[in-house]
Amino acid sequence: MKEIRYGRLHETLYCDTLPNGLEVCLLPKTGFSKTYAVFSARYGSADNRFRKADGTEVGLPDGIAHFLEHKMFEEPDGDVFQKFAAHGASANAFTSFDRTSYLFSATRDVEENVETLLDFVQSPYFTDENVEKEKGIIGQEIQMYRDHPDWRVYYGLIGAMYALDPIRIDIAGSLESIAAIDKETLQLCHETFYHPANMLLFVVGNVEPERLMERIRSNQAGKGFGAYVPPERLYPEEPEAVHRPVNVTELAVALPKCYFGFKEKKPAAGGAALARQEAATRIMLDLVLGPGSELYQALYDENLISDTFGFDCQMTDRYAFSMIGGDTRDPERLIERVKEGVRKIARNGFDEADFERQRRKRIGHFLRMFNSPEAVAHEYTKHRFRGIDPFGWLDVYESLTLADVRARFEEHVNWDRLAVSIVRSGENR
Amino acid sequence: MSASPFIRKEINGIRVHVLPSGRFKTYSVSLYAGSPLLEETVTANAVIPFVLRRGSADYPETRAFRARLDELYGASFGFDVYKRGNNQIIQFRLDAVADRYVSAKGGDGMLRDALRFLIGTLCRPALENGRFVARYVEAEKATVQKRLEAVINDKIRYAAERCLEEMFPGDPFRLNALGVIGDLEAITPASLFGRYRQWLAEAQIDLYVAGDVTPEAVFELAAASFDAARETPLPYRIGDPPAAKPAVKRVEEALDVSQGKLNIGLVLPVLVPDADYPAALVYNGILGGFPHSKLFVNVREKASLAYYASSRYDGYKGMVMIQSGIDAKNRDRALSIIEEQLDQLAAGRLSEAEMAQTKALIVSQLKELGDSAFDMIAFDFNSVLTGVGRSPEGLARAVMDVAPDDVVRIARQVRMDTVYFLRDRQGGEAR
Repeated sequence: MKEIRYGRLHETLYCDTLPNGLEVCLLPKTGFSKTYAVFSARYGSADNRFRKADGTEVGLPDGIAHFLEHKMFEEPDGDVFQKFAAHGASANAFTSFDRTSYLFSATRDVEENVETLLDFVQSPYFTDENVEKEKGIIGQEIQMYRDHPDWRVYYGLIGAMYALDPIRIDIAGSLESIAAIDKETLQLCHETFYHPANMLLFVVGNVEPERLMERIRSNQAGKGFGAYVPPERLYPEEPEAVHRPVNVTELAVALPKCYFGFKEKKPAAGGAALARQEAATRIMLDLVLGPGSELYQALYDENLISDTFGFDCQMTDRYAFSMIGGDTRDPERLIERVKEGVRKIARNGFDEADFERQRRKRIGHFLRMFNSPEAVAHEYTKHRFRGIDPFGWLDVYESLTLADVRARFEEHVNWDRLAVSIVRSGENR
Repeated sequence: MSASPFIRKEINGIRVHVLPSGRFKTYSVSLYAGSPLLEETVTANAVIPFVLRRGSADYPETRAFRARLDELYGASFGFDVYKRGNNQIIQFRLDAVADRYVSAKGGDGMLRDALRFLIGTLCRPALENGRFVARYVEAEKATVQKRLEAVINDKIRYAAERCLEEMFPGDPFRLNALGVIGDLEAITPASLFGRYRQWLAEAQIDLYVAGDVTPEAVFELAAASFDAARETPLPYRIGDPPAAKPAVKRVEEALDVSQGKLNIGLVLPVLVPDADYPAALVYNGILGGFPHSKLFVNVREKASLAYYASSRYDGYKGMVMIQSGIDAKNRDRALSIIEEQLDQLAAGRLSEAEMAQTKALIVSQLKELGDSAFDMIAFDFNSVLTGVGRSPEGLARAVMDVAPDDVVRIARQVRMDTVYFLRDRQGGEAR
């Protein structure tokens, strides 16, 4: 077991890779009551084609990673929520583009709960009947999201940017695609992607690292997983250009919602480069459109944006883009005004003092995250899966220069790579 | 009962509560200003924090105000307006990285700057001609209006608010905490400034600071920066629980939606200060607070009708809200399954396992509070508000002592009051 000290963070992380390939990271928090554990597979909604060791290609129905996540909770003797609750733990799970995470939070019986987490995720129980029954539940989840304007405008943007990459497919799939899901395909996905060597367990909170690691080690040793032959994941060749400039969706909303963003031409390769790209992009967006920027204030004063306005970016080595927006009375005018503001910045450049402030702000955000066990666990997992050093952000932010951010601005804010998604009511067109 | 970890003092007419703790990487500051929820003042009161966050006397321009926060290592500043029973609470929050993480020397420079900033924002707003800055007031009225209009975007929230509106006609509790759109227009920079002065003078104000601090340092900083004129504050009041309507009120509404939303308002006449409060928490937990609860198991897992089916107990008002998203054609089936769960509980059909699991999770939630400075602060403030000196540990013990009979006694007092259903426009007339 490796012990990694992060002196400036006042944190120590304990990591090990078990003989079966499972990576385990434990972050003890002295004085905390709660323990939060997340067990994640490098397998998400976008992993929908792969080649098996024997060379055959498999195409999976849309939404199957999420369906599998739902079905894992069922066990021959009832559902696992009750087993957790008996030990004071509440459990949950979620699926994103590139991972599926199962988690619990508890203030006692940590070792029992960790074992329950490992055991239920590693022992599927699918029957024709329980698979059919889940279709009604997930069908309602899909309907719920259909009514959600923030979700629709988000997917509208990804669908505008990406022509082929499977991130454009709804994580839950569609009513039609989930109809085709059966227990054999679920079983295949579980075998292919839930091998310990494709997973990470992160536990943070009131833990004794040596004892807990020993318990996990003996739990895993008894399970007889064979050697892992990773499937070859197949993704379509995504065209460089945005798929379509604008997507419009009709839905009952008070004001139109408008998200826009830039599709990265060539995502950065390698964890260190990705981290720098993400950090520089965030600071650049803070400077251009953050709540402290001149442009933000101007747009707010012109009643074009509200407190709902914000931005985010997703940076991976396959897809990378920014996403900016919120509610607006006039999407076209908003984009027009942002273009004007950006032209002005291109002429005048960024201010060194503003840059320093935004750098400080990002450092403060990173440090604050450690108050939240949930945030630490999820950020760690997300970045680890992307090959980024999850606790290395202080160094990344401190080594950035204004020139880096300026270069990022030149490269990223490219109007030929702009995509726009609008959600509006039939009547507020 | 264990002693409270908060150290308290009344300073310049406000109550200051300090929680010294080395566990957190930040200084967490929460300021609660509360007053009775009244039709006449709810909207204007709600606009106040929006205007205050535009600028203070020290940082009158919004950009400078925000730049100051960025300078403090991105100290997060925010506010919230909400109801606790028939009280309107305006809460300001500031979370700033502790000195030892950002300064080699340590010290309390960040704490001082953070407190000065927050209290300055509340007590010394940017003014012009002796009143609020007109362009800030106009812009923030528009912001509040947009917020109120946007409730319809989130259908889960919309259905919950509509159900409350139908359940509490004539009671200000039916209103959104941000007030009423129609009352915004009449607000002027002068009228709002007058309202602000009165609100600041008579609101109950509780200032909380948690983190690596000493009480003396916080008391001193509070004494130096809080200088508003204070009158005797209007006390927090927890009224009586509502009486259920003689017959269940049924309302159906149609909108362009894919999924129907079934919301059921129940009267549960037990309030936070009551001896039965722990039993009411367990009742709600068994009914619909968790994934092992009756609603989740029966509406979702067994009948496959919904993705979510849950209940939420409001012990400041004395009610429970059940909510579920279903296909409109399944309304009657879902309703009858839900009614059956309520009847089962009233008939005393609850298992040992349901009791044990529910208690374990409630106790766990109470223990977890201690890991978050803001959660500990929120719990303590709720005790101050209700005047009940319950600690999380004391409440946890009381929950463990709840017997099945206590839960059944609660269940027999529960009355269904309002059934609200939001459905799609297809599938026939709204009934």
